[in-house]
Amino acid sequence: VITTITILIPLLGAIVMLLLPDEERLLRYAALGISAVPLALALYIYFAFGDDLGVAALSQDVIWIQSLNIGYRVGLGGLGFGMFFLSTFLTVIAVLASSDVQRNLKQYFAAIFVAEVGMLGVFAAQDLIMFYIFFEVTLIPMYLLVGVWGDENRRQAAIKFFIYTFLGSTVMLAGFLAFGILADTYSMDALGGGGGLSRTAQVAVAAPILFGLLVKVPAVPLHSWLLDVYVSSPTSTNVLLSGVLPKLGTYGLIAVVLPLLPQGVEPFLPYVAAFGVINIIYGAFVAFLQPDLKALVAYSSIGTLGFILLGVASGNAVGLNGAVFQQVAHGLYSALLFILVGVIAARTGTRRIEDLGGLAARMPWAGGLLALGALAAMGLPGLAVFISEFMSIMGVYETFPVQGALAALGIIFSAMYLLYMLARVIFGPIERPAYEEIGDAGPVEMASVVPLAVLLVVLGVFPALLMSIQRPAVDAVITVIGGS
Amino acid sequence: VTGQAFIALLPELISTGFLILVLMAGVFSDSNAGVAAGLAAIGTLAMFGSAAVLLATGFSGSYFGGGFVVDDFALYFKLIVAGSAFFAVLAAARWSGRTGDAPEYLTLIISVVLGSMLLVSMRDLFGIFLAIELATIPSYAMVAFDRSRRESAEGGMKYLITGVIASSVLLYGIVLIYGVSGSALLQDVAGAFSGAITPVAVLGLVLMISGFAFKLSAAPFHFWTPDAYQGAPTSAAAFLSVGPKAATFAVLLRILLEGMPDAAPTWTAVMAFLAIITMFVGNLFALRQRNVRRMLAYSSVAHSGYILAAFAAIQGGGVAFAVQAVLIYSAAYAVMNMGAFLVIDLVGEDTKSYNGLVRTNPGVAASMALFMAALVGIPPLSGFFGKLWIIIAGAQSGSVLVYIVVGALVVNTVISVPYYFGIIRNMIFEEPTTDTARTKGSGGVRFSVYVLAVLTTLFGLLIIPLSVLVGASGLA
Repeated sequence: VITTITILIPLLGAIVMLLLPDEERLLRYAALGISAVPLALALYIYFAFGDDLGVAALSQDVIWIQSLNIGYRVGLGGLGFGMFFLSTFLTVIAVLASSDVQRNLKQYFAAIFVAEVGMLGVFAAQDLIMFYIFFEVTLIPMYLLVGVWGDENRRQAAIKFFIYTFLGSTVMLAGFLAFGILADTYSMDALGGGGGLSRTAQVAVAAPILFGLLVKVPAVPLHSWLLDVYVSSPTSTNVLLSGVLPKLGTYGLIAVVLPLLPQGVEPFLPYVAAFGVINIIYGAFVAFLQPDLKALVAYSSIGTLGFILLGVASGNAVGLNGAVFQQVAHGLYSALLFILVGVIAARTGTRRIEDLGGLAARMPWAGGLLALGALAAMGLPGLAVFISEFMSIMGVYETFPVQGALAALGIIFSAMYLLYMLARVIFGPIERPAYEEIGDAGPVEMASVVPLAVLLVVLGVFPALLMSIQRPAVDAVITVIGGS
Repeated sequence: VTGQAFIALLPELISTGFLILVLMAGVFSDSNAGVAAGLAAIGTLAMFGSAAVLLATGFSGSYFGGGFVVDDFALYFKLIVAGSAFFAVLAAARWSGRTGDAPEYLTLIISVVLGSMLLVSMRDLFGIFLAIELATIPSYAMVAFDRSRRESAEGGMKYLITGVIASSVLLYGIVLIYGVSGSALLQDVAGAFSGAITPVAVLGLVLMISGFAFKLSAAPFHFWTPDAYQGAPTSAAAFLSVGPKAATFAVLLRILLEGMPDAAPTWTAVMAFLAIITMFVGNLFALRQRNVRRMLAYSSVAHSGYILAAFAAIQGGGVAFAVQAVLIYSAAYAVMNMGAFLVIDLVGEDTKSYNGLVRTNPGVAASMALFMAALVGIPPLSGFFGKLWIIIAGAQSGSVLVYIVVGALVVNTVISVPYYFGIIRNMIFEEPTTDTARTKGSGGVRFSVYVLAVLTTLFGLLIIPLSVLVGASGLA
């Protein structure tokens, strides 16, 4: 019941937002207050039920359509809790970071809250049809967030985003339906281990599901919708777009494909690992070539998603723990970088890297945090991303040595472009006289980035805070797929 | 037995009564269109209520020598017909009142309702033909009713001519089937369609399906649809595209399942081809439309194709789900398409008149966005469930041809995204024009649009359980 309440509060919040009078301060405070409630509930769940998420208080199982065995089944598991928490957390951050949105504020926040319903629902779904429905619930609000509040290029970007991901999820639904029909239930619990399907049937079902999820991630070469969307979106949309949305895809891989279709996914794992490597290396190279700071961060974000794919493909506990952890770590650092890009662009009026320079002198806090984010992205020890990237590579190296070695190489490339970016943006002489006048990040902006940086450090130093929650669930998955 | 028959015929008797009342209202109170509209609204509600009571009490039975049957299946479709007629009456009231012909127009609506309600209960091929004509002939007049627009007369004329040809083809098919089986009752027809089927019977079957394809605007018999829907008064297009159409699908399902179950391999194959052609033709032509009425007309062709896909899946393990799919899709389509058509009454038929609607009229814009998203089939809106059931039925049918049909349905769903979302894009992203700012339509239309938007959104909770229940009891 607590889970359901947490999922539905943002929906209520969206309605409340639409009913409030059109006054900016009131709307911003109300949105902040509403977004804090799910976060508080998620924290409560963490502290009250952290050692056993399987308790009845958190799950619900109501049959909805008897003849098809579809039910409203939600519950929290170790695999999804990290992202469930992060979704509530990043929604708060997104509300804080929404200062660049001036028009139609209440509709903006309402759209964010509806998207949050979908995100929380996906990470709590225990029924394939529920998973799909929540998956699609995010689609329309994200389409609107990009299409209404983005920059000049927004309309094309939004429709491209919609058609690509809708195609992907439709194919995924076809896979889900085939699965449910063959196994005669959609309950993810009952389907564990393949729901009694033969190996051939599992392979046939896994293929469309994998395709749909990989489009959502997106795995290179299915990523062509992404750049326009990321670059056109307002900052706070970026936070959700890069922090949570790709994880709908990777979470599907971890919580649906692996445990429910263990034999079906097996032949695809080398390719998933290869996709991971391609993401890492392609992301790093293309990021290197970007003249636009936001595009650079976007490609960096695609690149590090590759580590999740690697961990998924590894098929062992180390790698999979890394993948689950990386979902959260990736969300923290990419949200941090996108917000800081927004802060810098608001001050200097440009995102072109060659027009920037020497910003550290004028904005030490923002510059310093940008450096922290970049260091996190390249996997500096002591920061959360390091833990998961390291574990993913370790895990995959055992199973697929070539892919593991190439991925390690990718880290070096990413260090190159990130350090080069830092050198040109925040260090060196001040590029333009106008930059002498600009100030550092304001208190609200600091409030939106500092928690992210703090969590990056805390999880980097005490990974057990999250690992302890996810480990039993990961072990259960490993037992199902018969790995070590 | 006679008393029982009166109860069984209650919805039809009520509609006959109100038919006369509304017509008389026109004769005796010429100045006051409101009386006729009020009577018609009460009448459609009474028909809906009586069908609902019969369904709730589990009433069923067969009358008039087995030619007329009341079962859950028939009552369910009577609900759809009467419900959609209620919204059509609300939408028509003010418009037809302005032209001074309100009672006549409302009488036409009620006689279409009467024909459609009789149709879903008929078990006799000639009865079916008469009921179809009772529903169709007034609808020609409805389409041509708007004398202020030339398109209305043009659409009505085309509809009339193709409709009459379709009726003759249908009648010819029925006569051939009657000749082969020696009886028009469906249970007797079944005998002629078991074992080896004679060529004459096959010819009769094909002609009959062709006649139905005209009525259902399935490609390649769909030419009349865009002109008729573009010319018709909005309330007529909205009602004719959902109410009588659902009834026609229902009776076709009854004929095929009760009258020729053993010939299923033949007619499912015919349906599969019809479904594929219809889906592609409807969606590809809809993509090119700049006029929202024409777009929705082609969209209704495409949706006929989706429902025909469910017909193709009536084989193997898919039978039960395919029947449910027809029930669910008919209701889902009724709420979302009716809503979309009624929005035209409020906003306009040019896609440009939707520009910036979200700023000038957010409530209507949000409803229209819901209808469009539902027509695409985005969960958890009504259209999603219709497609879900069709896909499930198709997957269980165990036939390769049906798998292809289901694949075509998925492809067509993606093809349809641009034209439905074109409206949403215009509403949200374009600047309002002077046209958008003008508010049209009555409170009745506005009320209908909001109610239908709620039904579209909560379809999974409100209507699915009923559909599944009715589907489980099957055809009596």
